Amino acid sequence: MTLAEQPRVLTWDELAEGMAATVDFVVTPAEMHAFAALSGDYNALHHDASFARANGFDGVVVYGGLIIAKISQLIGMKLPGRDAVWMGLSLRFRRPLYVGQQARLEGTIARLSESTRVVRLRIEVRAAGQLLAEGDVEARVAQP
Amino acid sequence: MDPAEIYRKLTSIFRDVFDDDSLTIAPELAAAALPEWDSLQHIRLVIAAEREFALKFSASEIASLENVGEFADLIRRKL
Repeated sequence: MTLAEQPRVLTWDELAEGMAATVDFVVTPAEMHAFAALSGDYNALHHDASFARANGFDGVVVYGGLIIAKISQLIGMKLPGRDAVWMGLSLRFRRPLYVGQQARLEGTIARLSESTRVVRLRIEVRAAGQLLAEGDVEARVAQP
Repeated sequence: MDPAEIYRKLTSIFRDVFDDDSLTIAPELAAAALPEWDSLQHIRLVIAAEREFALKFSASEIASLENVGEFADLIRRKL
């Protein structure tokens, strides 16, 4: 993903309940280091495999904040896309995502509020057939 | 649904949106009386009401509302 990529442009009338979009991603060690510098969170769980295993995990655990960053990509680039204004997020982490693990984020429009032009998206993150995180997003479509 | 039940649910919505457990609402309460009641909070109120009462408003219905009493009346008519 680069800044040269353009967000999808959808009008309100093109949105429909049940419409979905996905983001496939693999978090790399470089992204983990970048997020540590950005957030100031250098917890060993996210950088030290031995520490992570000693605490019951299979390896270095991806930051929850990085998963939220992927949700930001979904909202701002795909659904609703260019005119989205993020209003809220509710997210539950059920299982860890590991560095280097292939994952898919899917957002599905659960409800459209015509009066406020707010979209509620059902969010799911899966890897290896398992649900890792789920929640809801509210985003307003800011169009004239 | 009787008006008292609508007001009970609306009170819960207002307290949640404005993060004030002591907030009380009355039919004459309007946005001008609550400094925190800006356009964004107004959207949150409408969204929460649509969810709580399982209904949808039109943009024109929302735009014409002057106070809580009109909001409650609109909800009652649509239920």
